[in-house]
Amino acid sequence: MIDVDYQKVEDWQKLKELKNLLDLSNPPKKLYFQGIWNKGIFANCVAVVGSRKMTDYGARVIEKIIPQLIAQGQTVASGFMYGVDQYAHRVCVESGGKTIAVLGWGIKQKLAGEDLKLAKKIIESGGLVLSEWEDQQGTLWTFPLRNRIVAALCQEVIVVEAAENSGSLITARAAAKLKKTIWAVPGPITSKTSRGTNRLIAGGKAKMWLGENSIQLPLAQNSDPLLQILDAEALTADELARKLKLPVSGIGAELSILLLSGQIIEKGGKYYIADAN
Amino acid sequence: MLIKIPSIANIGLESVPVDVEVDVASLGFPGFTIVGLASKAVEEARERVKTAIVNSKLDFPPRKITVNLAPADLPKDGAAYDLPMALGVLLASGQLQLPKGFDLTKSFFYGELSLDGSLRPTKGILLLGLFAQKCAVNSTIFVPQISAPEASVVAGVKVIPIETLSRLVEYLLGQRQIEPLKAPLRRESFEEQVAEFDLAEIAGQEQAKRALIIAAAGGHNLLMWGPPGTGKTMLSRALPGILPPLSYNEALEVTRIYSVAGLLSPGQALVSSRPFRAPHHGISAAGMIGGGSNPLPGEVSLAHLGVLFLDEMPEFQRSLIESLRQPMEDGVVEIVRVAGHVKYPASFTLVAAINPCPCGYLGHPKRECKCSDRQIAKYRTRISGPILDRVDLFVNVSVVETEKLSITTGSPEQRTSSKDAKKQVINARQVQKRRFSKERRVIYTNSQMRNSDVKKYCQLTPEGENLLKLAADRFDFSARSYFRLIKVSRTIADLSASEQILPVHMAEALQYKQII
Repeated sequence: MIDVDYQKVEDWQKLKELKNLLDLSNPPKKLYFQGIWNKGIFANCVAVVGSRKMTDYGARVIEKIIPQLIAQGQTVASGFMYGVDQYAHRVCVESGGKTIAVLGWGIKQKLAGEDLKLAKKIIESGGLVLSEWEDQQGTLWTFPLRNRIVAALCQEVIVVEAAENSGSLITARAAAKLKKTIWAVPGPITSKTSRGTNRLIAGGKAKMWLGENSIQLPLAQNSDPLLQILDAEALTADELARKLKLPVSGIGAELSILLLSGQIIEKGGKYYIADAN
Repeated sequence: MLIKIPSIANIGLESVPVDVEVDVASLGFPGFTIVGLASKAVEEARERVKTAIVNSKLDFPPRKITVNLAPADLPKDGAAYDLPMALGVLLASGQLQLPKGFDLTKSFFYGELSLDGSLRPTKGILLLGLFAQKCAVNSTIFVPQISAPEASVVAGVKVIPIETLSRLVEYLLGQRQIEPLKAPLRRESFEEQVAEFDLAEIAGQEQAKRALIIAAAGGHNLLMWGPPGTGKTMLSRALPGILPPLSYNEALEVTRIYSVAGLLSPGQALVSSRPFRAPHHGISAAGMIGGGSNPLPGEVSLAHLGVLFLDEMPEFQRSLIESLRQPMEDGVVEIVRVAGHVKYPASFTLVAAINPCPCGYLGHPKRECKCSDRQIAKYRTRISGPILDRVDLFVNVSVVETEKLSITTGSPEQRTSSKDAKKQVINARQVQKRRFSKERRVIYTNSQMRNSDVKKYCQLTPEGENLLKLAADRFDFSARSYFRLIKVSRTIADLSASEQILPVHMAEALQYKQII
């Protein structure tokens, strides 16, 4: 048991933020949670699921995907199982995001070691730990049932790594039934833990996730004084600082951000508006 | 009679005890022999000692004199054994009696004699003082008056400044008192370092000035890149004016090196200003790294804890620039010669100025570049990737059009002066001092952090981390440049007195990323 008390979600069927769960053919009877209830957390939810046997490739994929999702304001939901699921929770918490962990066992079950630490971190960072049971042991049939809740909570599912008979494929199937967008991360065809995801793509059941849309920085307004000046002529950082009568240190920082968000480009020390032509 | 007088030999910054044994035999043909791997300078001590004794109105015994410098297998160099030899001759010939209670094992004699019996400035006096301090409690050193202040900073050692040989004799006979030299007052703020230019005198180039401040604050290597006449050299000449003063421990470290090299000016106790070395590009490898049969420190060591400025860096011999890699990474340089190997500290900040091409006008708005593509490519390969990878800050020093300058830059009073910049630098250094005070390894600046230190001291906010990842993606960072960027951000955060590294610090650091 985590030292934070669990609570029952009273009359969850009446809660607006959980109405997605009602789409299930067999919605949960009861719901328990740990953490601080926050309606907003369910608004933009992506499930990141995958194999228990995560490879280095899987870990790198998660490290790439999760910060992008957080930057887009998404919540990451997953199944709190070791491997891809837990790593997704962990990266999310460390990158400053909020995450929902749906347990495959009763909420009263005691956690230990790394599991306990992770659960605490999830709660401390404003996330939630959910379960439909109170003292149910985790057994063969509880994990697939848990997957349907993960699938129902989110708008999109990203399958990171999955072997041929992975539980994450159950999540994908459940999500498909609920008409959610399913993404699969392609892997090497020589890897067992990528066979499931590659099949999903090959069978047309999932879109291929190529991670092209990198982390987005919020775009500056067109009324930004820097952009306005650069719109008229290309200048160096020094010249901009002189024009705006501001210290070059701050101007430099702003220029870097504009450069990274792709709004300006730099050539030979001068800055140009990116879409000047 | 046989007399043993303790002295030392300096091998690099290490000192080893040397006994000067003098025997004046009652039998045998008159003569003066020196044995014990003496170099030419030591051999010639014979003439100096003999003449100095005679000119001090003392007697040079017409007997067989043998001097042994023990241990016999250690090469000895320099003229510092003149004084112990002369004293040995006087004692062994019975002209001079040591006063009662004078402990010869706790006294060290060191110094070069002039023919008239006076003592000349001698290098390595500070090392003698440090050795005496380590060797015995309440030891006394007898050294030339002009060099004596060097040793006076060492606590617990009595420094007797000697002007002439006859004075020493009078002192030992009790006919005259010589006051031991007192330690100079420790001043926390040393005198203002003089620079050729003040930052306020330089018009424009705000970003380059900012880079100079960051480099001075965090000890980061800096590369300035731009056509001739844009102020690269002027900027770097202004750098000494914003460098923070040496702390006492730092000053002691630097003074040791200068003492060995014999570069302290007469009467100077400690090197008070941070070294700024600007060797010409014709310099030899031994001059840069250090060398000689008894290896002396080179420019990299003389710039220890200070700045090594390489103007027109590609004009230096390529192998020479490559040889900077080891000291830049480790902060020490190891010189190996037949006679043995010597380690000198060489933890310097590299500041380099580079033209964009051989003719210098590539990318100049008004003048045409006359170089062929091949020439440019060849010019760039003179600075290799490994060296560039060790540079933390790159700054483009571009052409400033004069008419723009006069209208928009305003009067010099509005620009940052060296004095203000120095204040910022000193504050940032104090933050760093506090940060690294618990480290077992001596770290003075952010640039000296290793990767493990970066993880420990440079916590990033999640937004900062995102920015870093995005930048790493966009600009294809190597692992080293990744850590380099964090270190620079740490310094920028320190300059703005921020505990955390904020995204804005990270973003500014990105301005100084590699451009060649």
